[in-house]
Amino acid sequence: MSSSVASPPQSGGRHQKKQNDKPASLWSDAWYDLRRKPAFVISAILIGVLLLMAIWPTLFSSVDPRACDLSVARQAPSAGHLFGRDNLGCDVYSRTIHAARNSIVIGVLTTVLVAVIGGLLGMVAAFYASMTDTVLSRLTEIFFAIPGILGALLIASTFRDQINSILLVIVSLTVLSWPMTFRIMRAAVITAKNQDFVVAARALGAGPSRLMFRHLLPNALAPVIVVSTINLGVFIAAEAALSFLGVGVQSPDISWGLMISDARDRFLDAPLPLIFPAVFLSITVLAFIMLGDAVRDALDPKLR
Amino acid sequence: MRVTKGAQIVAGAALLALAVAACGGGASTGSSGAGSGETPVRMEVGEPQHALVPGLTAESEGAEILAAIYDPLVNYNENKQADPNVAESVSTTDNKVWTIKLKQGYTWHDGTKLTAQDYVNAWNWVARKSSAADATGFMAKIDGYADLNPEGEGTMETVKEMKGLKVVDDTTFTVTLASPFSQFGLMLGYTAFYPMHPKSWEADGKLTAAAQEQPIGMGLFKLDKAYKKGTDQTIDLTVYDKFTGTKPKNWTKLQFKLYTSSETAYNDLQGEQLDIHDSIPATQLSSAKSALGERYHDDPDSAVGYIGVPLAYNKDYQNADVRKAISMAIDRKTISEVVFSGSRSPADDFISPVVDGYRQGACGEACTYNPTAAKELYTKAGGPAKIELGYNADGGHKEWIEATANNLRQNLGVEVEAKPFEKFASILESLQNKEYSGLFRMAWSYDYPSPENYLRPIFGKIAIANGSNYGGYDNPEFDKLVDQGDQAATADESVKFYQQADDVLLKDLPYIPVYFYRTNWGHSTKIKNVSLNLLKQVNWAAVEKA
Repeated sequence: MSSSVASPPQSGGRHQKKQNDKPASLWSDAWYDLRRKPAFVISAILIGVLLLMAIWPTLFSSVDPRACDLSVARQAPSAGHLFGRDNLGCDVYSRTIHAARNSIVIGVLTTVLVAVIGGLLGMVAAFYASMTDTVLSRLTEIFFAIPGILGALLIASTFRDQINSILLVIVSLTVLSWPMTFRIMRAAVITAKNQDFVVAARALGAGPSRLMFRHLLPNALAPVIVVSTINLGVFIAAEAALSFLGVGVQSPDISWGLMISDARDRFLDAPLPLIFPAVFLSITVLAFIMLGDAVRDALDPKLR
Repeated sequence: MRVTKGAQIVAGAALLALAVAACGGGASTGSSGAGSGETPVRMEVGEPQHALVPGLTAESEGAEILAAIYDPLVNYNENKQADPNVAESVSTTDNKVWTIKLKQGYTWHDGTKLTAQDYVNAWNWVARKSSAADATGFMAKIDGYADLNPEGEGTMETVKEMKGLKVVDDTTFTVTLASPFSQFGLMLGYTAFYPMHPKSWEADGKLTAAAQEQPIGMGLFKLDKAYKKGTDQTIDLTVYDKFTGTKPKNWTKLQFKLYTSSETAYNDLQGEQLDIHDSIPATQLSSAKSALGERYHDDPDSAVGYIGVPLAYNKDYQNADVRKAISMAIDRKTISEVVFSGSRSPADDFISPVVDGYRQGACGEACTYNPTAAKELYTKAGGPAKIELGYNADGGHKEWIEATANNLRQNLGVEVEAKPFEKFASILESLQNKEYSGLFRMAWSYDYPSPENYLRPIFGKIAIANGSNYGGYDNPEFDKLVDQGDQAATADESVKFYQQADDVLLKDLPYIPVYFYRTNWGHSTKIKNVSLNLLKQVNWAAVEKA
């Protein structure tokens, strides 16, 4: 870890990536480990495919997910419609593919927001300590006290008339999830800030923002990345849960949770429109959680 | 005036329609009412829109509950005619002055004798503008109603009693109408015409809290305790032992369970946690038929399902051609067959097939699925590029609304958003407060078996301020034809005028009729002899525990 310490004070190259010219850095070690892990490779491929699906759904299906024909509702799978038709006569395959975008967008944006908000506040709390830390830490405890999905349900159902449904899901999940990242970042920064290289940088006259972003952040980032990757899968599952309960993504937008919800009432008559999105949802969540596990093993060998 | 929540909503402003909003609340928290150890007969309802006051109730859920607490003046027989019930006779010679005589022996649940004055008091209160009663329109035909409802916002009445109501003696009173109305006798079975207990009012004429939460009725059941709206998940009742009519043979406890999801209620019915469910969701129909067997019922129903149009509040829809194009873009037949498993039939008139005056195919081209012509007409008429379609999420409507949204999206090339409201009551409130201005799901089931009930209560000018004319439709020609129907000398002539009024609606399409209902209901194995009357209320006295 100390390899990342000695940044020349005059360096203006903020974007310069240290791991590239320091072969023995944590990051390059991790990458070396990861490439050799089957779990990582499999989940990375799955995620790659899912991302492609989200970015370019028409690559997978040429059928319009909203071209529905009620007269052929609940039709069994056929050549043109691999997964059959749902209760409104829409193509299940095409809808499942197109739903990936909303689910992944919600997962990724929520993860980024949670990491940025929780991470920043956690670093500020740890760095300034005393009052700042006390106030912020108590605040996170308040949020911790709210049970996750119930709180999101409350937020989403209260504001659902005012905001776009996808945005609302992101906001409600973020509001309830940032404290976890906050705690992890805070703990990591507290550990890092008493180390010699930080003391040295301070003695050389580094200001708070330089200390935080140049010295503390790179050394506290690993655990946040690990938790974020795992959380990404969790957020996608949470989105599905909210949509299933009717407060998440709203029609005409498509999401896996919504598809499951729409199909459940006729599950006994027509199980496929429920099973396919459920399988996709499970695979996606599994892929992100596997990736998170692999990244944790690589970045934090102590936990192995 | 009854708007139906689930299977049927009918909104009527003044005459008698109950909205069928049926659908109920969440799982109930056990049957606190069964203190005596008797398991109550449990029935599914949705949360009533208002307090348990007859004049405030113009929707099916509240009406179902009130029908257990009160007993109507007349009952409807199989032929949709009124038979005297609490009334010994209802008579008239000129359709203008009606004499109502009460049977002896009826008492309120506190033992007080029921008198003609109790009817007069209740009806006067319903008619007063200051009461803001949803069912006020039912009183509009009585002479003197206009005096109690001065024009102008905020102007309150100075006269408190309608001059058309006269008490003759303890058990007789006369009703003089402002003009002859041949169907008046048919109206008297409706919720709004229930009497109210003499102690229902404060000195200043306002309703007491008790009258709203624990009304003293004169019907088969009395309330065990006050009903706190919004908190209580059940309404518990016990048979009133001094009730003079027929009582149930082998049980005394009745419980209404409030559900917000008809699916949940259906699961409870299958689990025998519920005994009667009168709005089995469309999605469960095919499985209900096999799961319930003989306990599953499919009755013709008076309700008509519409897409409502906020004519007066959204200028996007003011061109009649836009509405016609929307109507032509809806594939009624496929929706009835696929979404409702055949438990609905495509609507082709504003008047339901269950009453006289229905004409098959009256709607003609406008109700016939024709995507190409619809698109052309819509483009030409300049319809909006985005359509909102509101519905209550508690009544099993999502699927057909989504199917309709798909129809409109594909056939008209517009963006359509199906907007769920939490419950039937919230969509009604939102419409009444003019907060929502998109298209909305609506349905109407009659309050009395007359074609007039499908016209004025939903589309008459009188139903705009207090009533079920949620779209704000106002056409003097229509109002005039309905009036002429009311005053016609014979029933046949009345029907002719009503049909002409219906023609005006079919041309204007203030709402878009989509389907006619059937009532799909079922009961548990714990009870037998269950039947619904013409108002789709359970005939409690006949029900027996198995």
